[in-house]
Amino acid sequence: MDALLNGFSIVLSGENLMYCFIGAFLGTVVGILPGLGPLTTIAILLPITFKMDVTSAIIMLSGIYYGVAYGGTVTSVLMRIPGEASSVVTCLDGYEMARKGRAGPALFIAAVGSFVAGTLGVIAITFLSPPLAKMVLAFGPSEYAMMMLAGLSMVTYMSGGSLPRALLMAAFGLLLGTIGLDPMNMTPRLTFDILTLSDGVNLVPLAIGLFGLSEVLFMARRDESELTILAPPKGMAAFLPTAEEARRSVGPVGRGTVLGFLVGLLPGGGAVIASFLSYAVERKLSRNPEEFGKGAVEGLAGPEAANNAGTTGAFVPLLCMGIPANAITALLLGAFMIHGVAPGPQILERAPEVFWGVVASMYIGNIMLLVLNLPLIGMFVKILDIPRVYLTPMILLVCLIGVYSNSGNPADVVVAVVFGFVGYYLRRHGFDLGIVILAYVLGPIFERSVRQALSISDGDPMIFLHSKLSIGFALAAAVILIAGLWPKRAAVAKA
Amino acid sequence: MANDADQGAAVALPGKTRAGQGTRLATLALLAAALVGLWQAWGLERWAIDGPGAGLWPMIVASVCVALAVIVLIWPGPAGTTEEGDTDTIDTRELVRTRSTFNLYCLALIVLAVGAAYGGFVLTSLTVSILLVRFAEGRSWGAALLYGVGAALIGLVCFAWLLRVDLPTGPIERAFLALVR
Repeated sequence: MDALLNGFSIVLSGENLMYCFIGAFLGTVVGILPGLGPLTTIAILLPITFKMDVTSAIIMLSGIYYGVAYGGTVTSVLMRIPGEASSVVTCLDGYEMARKGRAGPALFIAAVGSFVAGTLGVIAITFLSPPLAKMVLAFGPSEYAMMMLAGLSMVTYMSGGSLPRALLMAAFGLLLGTIGLDPMNMTPRLTFDILTLSDGVNLVPLAIGLFGLSEVLFMARRDESELTILAPPKGMAAFLPTAEEARRSVGPVGRGTVLGFLVGLLPGGGAVIASFLSYAVERKLSRNPEEFGKGAVEGLAGPEAANNAGTTGAFVPLLCMGIPANAITALLLGAFMIHGVAPGPQILERAPEVFWGVVASMYIGNIMLLVLNLPLIGMFVKILDIPRVYLTPMILLVCLIGVYSNSGNPADVVVAVVFGFVGYYLRRHGFDLGIVILAYVLGPIFERSVRQALSISDGDPMIFLHSKLSIGFALAAAVILIAGLWPKRAAVAKA
Repeated sequence: MANDADQGAAVALPGKTRAGQGTRLATLALLAAALVGLWQAWGLERWAIDGPGAGLWPMIVASVCVALAVIVLIWPGPAGTTEEGDTDTIDTRELVRTRSTFNLYCLALIVLAVGAAYGGFVLTSLTVSILLVRFAEGRSWGAALLYGVGAALIGLVCFAWLLRVDLPTGPIERAFLALVR
């Protein structure tokens, strides 16, 4: 506790407080604006931090990372454009809430849920980091592979339609993930000798095509009167959730926080899996599962909390083991190294002021984000007043900037447009696109784990059942898949 | 969602039949994609001297994809869509009324792709705005041009110049950036 208080004294110095604010503010802006992802922003700002104190530098860069999770919610709820993979789930019910005149409460619940999850996540980091770091070390390649299988099975089971259709979408997502150079020996795969495909299908054009551009086509197909968004109530009531909505959000936020933090600890796409799993769990637990996809508060609150708790959880393997959970934390690891601090089990002894300073800055940063975001909700909601004639070209141009600036490659815009049409057609015929994104993100980690495990065992597939943990995950996957084929499920889906 | 689909079936059976055909066509397209993936993966090394080769994983995934597509073709099951208004229960008459608007939106998407490669941001913004605001939505030329120029200026000044975001570059962007940088 003394160490944490010392961390607070470091953050509350004027200079660090300013960097914390700059990070949180930039993160929010970057999350909302197209074209500037957290990775690009951190990469651009990294050289600026060279002459800064190491704690100040990491505080600012971390602020950008968790601030983006807040900002990404705005475009997901209001325009159905996911800023990142973990915001995809927010599009589902958040956007439908906005269409029903509940954009203000949706953003409010997302902001408060994110704050609660982020703060509880930081508390968990404070007290549980050392034992959690040991727990993560128990995961070898075979455990990872089986966990991915169980996670995908769980999400397909909860998708609400027929299991084969959902599994087909998962397999399609995995197949998309195999396009490009083999990550281990750089052999081109499924590229048809087209040079552009060597980089594979990037996540940004895929997500923006499947969700943003397909939505524009859906808007075009509907009569303008159908698109009318219910007018929100006047005054403060427009931005505050009703007592019923608040009550319904409490459980999902709590469950999303725990789930998000635990899944976020695992290297590779933790926040993404967490948000999808949270959605699936809430749908399963809900008394009104038929409301999901039509503006269910639980479908927004749970994944938003899980997303933010996952982002916070990703700091545990980074700080305690020096293992980056994703590309952004890998860049943060680089920032640590540049400043001569090696994150890992020794960081608490060698650089306690950095560790506890960063942890304390997350408390302060989360409060700053809440204070920044709540007053802006009214301004954001105004976007919904724009009629289709002016809103759709804006969405298209935002998508164009977002996709093009991500790689500077016009081929990515072509990919996004192709997936816009594919997404429109698949959605129209009842295929769940969220699963495609999840499987696409998990695909490379799943493949790496399977190949590493098979390399270790010299091709013996029994390695996937060699430990209690992997047997547990394999059993869970089998039970979920069998339960999905049970006739009762069809009846539940129809209900 | 399933209830909506049932109601749609009660009101307009042809719509449901078309939706069923659409599902089969979508599944067939996925099957074709998976078969192409399988064909590509077949030529890759499945096992190398140091362990699994580049082709093992794509072959497993493509095979599973083929098997699942066949299962869905035989037994499509209920729609698994997660959002309201996704499934094709739209009235045929309404569809005809909105068809020309829809086609123009499709054209706008194609313009977006072509414009990013050859036209640059300003030309693409103008063309997309005119296509959608003037032709698809029937507003005046003035409104369409004003909107297009405004969007192009915001993109050019705020994103390309001030934020240094990469935008599709054509002669106009090159000239502007040469002037201001």
